[in-house]
Amino acid sequence: MEYLVVALMCIVFLQTRFMELRRSTILLGVQSAFIAAACLVIGIAHGGGLHGFLPGILTILVKVIFIPFAILKVVRGLKDEREIISDINVNYSTGVAALALAMSYMIIDRLLPGFEGRDILATAMFMIMTGLALIVMRARAIMQMIGMITMENGIYLLGLIMTEGLPIIIELGVFLDVLIAVVILVILTSRLRLNFSTTDTNVMQKLKG
Amino acid sequence: MTTYLAIFICLPPICAILALVGTFNNEILHWLHRITATIFGLAMVKLAMDFDPTQPFYNDYFYIDALSLWVMIIITTLYVAASWTAKSYLSREEKCGVLKGEQLQTGRYFALMQLFCWTMFLVLIVNNLGLMWVAIEATTLISALLISYKFTKSALEATWKYVMVCTVGICLALLGTLIMYYAQIQAMGSANALDWVYLKQHANALNPSLTKLAMLFLLVGYGTKAGMAPMHSWLPDAYAEAPSLTSGMLSGALCTCAIYVLLRNLVILLPTAGAELMSSMMVFFALLTVAIAVPFVVVQRDVKRILAYSSMENIGIMLAGVSVFTAFSLKAVMLHMYSHAMIKFVLFFMAGTIIQEYGTRNMMRIHGMLIDVPQTATFWLTGMLGILGLPPFGLFFSKFNILTAMFKSGHYIAGSLLVVLLVGVLIGILYHGMRMLSDKAKSRKPIGDLLQPIDILVLVLLLLATVVVGVGFENFGWLNHLLSQAVMIIGG
Repeated sequence: MEYLVVALMCIVFLQTRFMELRRSTILLGVQSAFIAAACLVIGIAHGGGLHGFLPGILTILVKVIFIPFAILKVVRGLKDEREIISDINVNYSTGVAALALAMSYMIIDRLLPGFEGRDILATAMFMIMTGLALIVMRARAIMQMIGMITMENGIYLLGLIMTEGLPIIIELGVFLDVLIAVVILVILTSRLRLNFSTTDTNVMQKLKG
Repeated sequence: MTTYLAIFICLPPICAILALVGTFNNEILHWLHRITATIFGLAMVKLAMDFDPTQPFYNDYFYIDALSLWVMIIITTLYVAASWTAKSYLSREEKCGVLKGEQLQTGRYFALMQLFCWTMFLVLIVNNLGLMWVAIEATTLISALLISYKFTKSALEATWKYVMVCTVGICLALLGTLIMYYAQIQAMGSANALDWVYLKQHANALNPSLTKLAMLFLLVGYGTKAGMAPMHSWLPDAYAEAPSLTSGMLSGALCTCAIYVLLRNLVILLPTAGAELMSSMMVFFALLTVAIAVPFVVVQRDVKRILAYSSMENIGIMLAGVSVFTAFSLKAVMLHMYSHAMIKFVLFFMAGTIIQEYGTRNMMRIHGMLIDVPQTATFWLTGMLGILGLPPFGLFFSKFNILTAMFKSGHYIAGSLLVVLLVGVLIGILYHGMRMLSDKAKSRKPIGDLLQPIDILVLVLLLLATVVVGVGFENFGWLNHLLSQAVMIIGG
C-alpha cells in the first residue's frame, strides 16, 4: 500500500507537469491502472468473491482501456497537440498540487484522527483537489477532461478506503455514468474542433451576462 | 403497483430506441412521441388516484410516497405538455431556418427527450440514495446532449460549461453520499447500504460530525444542479441555448428533481446535523442566488436569458422556504415547485415562439406585440404576470406563504431583503415585457402569429392548472392530504 501511495502521488504531480495531450492521456491510463490495483488489493484483503474483484476489473475495462483509447482517438485528429501556455502556469499548477497535498493531510488529521489508512486517504483528497485545479487552470478541453477523471478517481479511491466499496448496483451505476460522461465529452470535443477549429476553451467567450 | 412501475421504466426507453433506430418519417415520430407520453400520463393519473398517501409503496429498489408522487405529477405534466407542443414547435423551427438540413433530426430529439424524462423519473422512484445520485448524473448527461442539440458555437459553449460545472458539483455530492455511507457503516454496519427507508428509521444513530460534513458536500453538490449561486454560472447559458421546449423542462422539471433529492438527503441528515446549521447556510445561499439574479434581470437584452435569471430567483425562493423548515413553509415550497414548473414552461415556450416570429432574441428590437401578434402577446403577458407572483396565479400564494413563514420564524432581515430583491425582479421583468408589448413595430416586423390551436390549448390548461391548484388546494381534500403527507415525510 505504501508503494501505491507514493506512486499515485508521483503520477498526479507529473499530471500537472505534462502539457502534451498524448502523454497526459497515457499517464491518466497509468493512474487508473494504479487505482485498479488498489481495488484488487482491497478486494482480495476482504475475501475476494464477485464483489471483491468486480470493481477492479471494471476499473481496468472502463478507465484503463476504454477512456484513454477514446481520448487518444480524438487527440489523433488534433493538429496542435500541445497546450499553448507559458511555463508559469505549469509551475503554478504544480504549486497548487503541493499545497493540496499539505492541505489534504491537514484535513484528514482534523476530521478523522487516527484513521488507519491515513496516507491513502490523504492521497485520495489530494487527487480530488488536484483534479479540480486542473479543470480550473487548464484551457484545453482534453486537459479539463483529464482533470475531471482524476477527480473522479480520487473520489472513487476515497470511497474504496473509507467504506470498502459501495453496494454492487451503485458501483455499476457510477461506472456507467463515467462511461457515458466520457463518450459525451468526446463527442463535444470533436464538435468543438469542427466548429472552432481548436479545442482551446478560451475561445468560448460569447455567452456573458 | 408493479404494473405502473413497469410502464414507467419500460415505455420511454422503448420509444427512444424506436425513434433512434427506426426509419420513420416525421409524422409517425410525432405521434409515437405523443402517444408514449399520453400513455405515461394516463398511467400516472391512474396511479395517483389509486395511491393512498399514507401507505408508501416499498420494495428493495423502489419507493414511492407522497413526496415523490407530487414531484412525479409535476414532471409528468410537463412531459405530456412538451410532447403535445413538440410538433408545431419543431416544424416552425424548421420553417424559420433555425434548424437546417442534417440538424433536423426529429428522431434524435425525441429519443433524447424521452430518455431525459425517463432519467428524471428514475430519480423519483428509486429507494437508494446512491442510485438517486446515479440517476441525477444521468439526467446531466442526457440533458447535455439536448442543450447542444443545434451544435452551434454558442450551444457548444453552453454545453461545455454545463457539463463541466455540473459534473464537478455532482462529484462533490457523490463525496457527500460516501461520507454518509461511512457514517452508516460506523453506526450500524453495511447492511441495507444507503437505503433511504432504513436510514430514515435509524437517522438518530449517525455520527453528528460526519453528517454535518456530508450535508455540506450534498448541499453544494445538488445545489449546483439546482442552480444555486455561486455555482449557477452554467444556468443562464444552458437555458438560453437549449431548444425552448428543453429549456422549459430543464427549468421546470430538472431543478425540481434536484431540490427533491436535496430534501431526501436532508431528511436523513437533519436529526443529527441539526436544523440551525442547514437553515443559516441555506438562507445565505438563497438570498445570494436571488441577489445575483436581480441585476442581470434588469439589464438583460436576451429574451431567454431573462427567463433563466428569473428561474434563479425562484430557486432562491424555494431554498429560502426549505431553510425555514416548518410545515407551513414546506407546503408552500411544494406549491411553488408546481406553479413555477407550469408557468416557466409556458414562458419558455412563448419565448421560443417570439424568437421564431421576430427572428431575433434581442428584446430591445421587439416592439408592438399587442398589435401585431395578439395571441402571442396575451400568453406572454399572462405568463409574466404569473411568474412575478400576481394573483390569481399559484406563485402569488406560494411566494406569500414562504415570505410569511420567514417572518414568522424570525428571519426578519432575510425576509425584508428578499422582499426588496423581489421588487427588483418585478421591475426588471415588467419593464422589458411591457416595452415589448406596447408601441408599434419599428425595425422588425413579425412574420405573424405562429401559435397553433393545440399549443393554445396546452398553454391554457397549464396556466389554469396553476390557478386552480394555487387558489384552491385546501379545498381539494385529496390534494391537501397528499401535500400534508409530503410535508410530514420531510418532517417540518
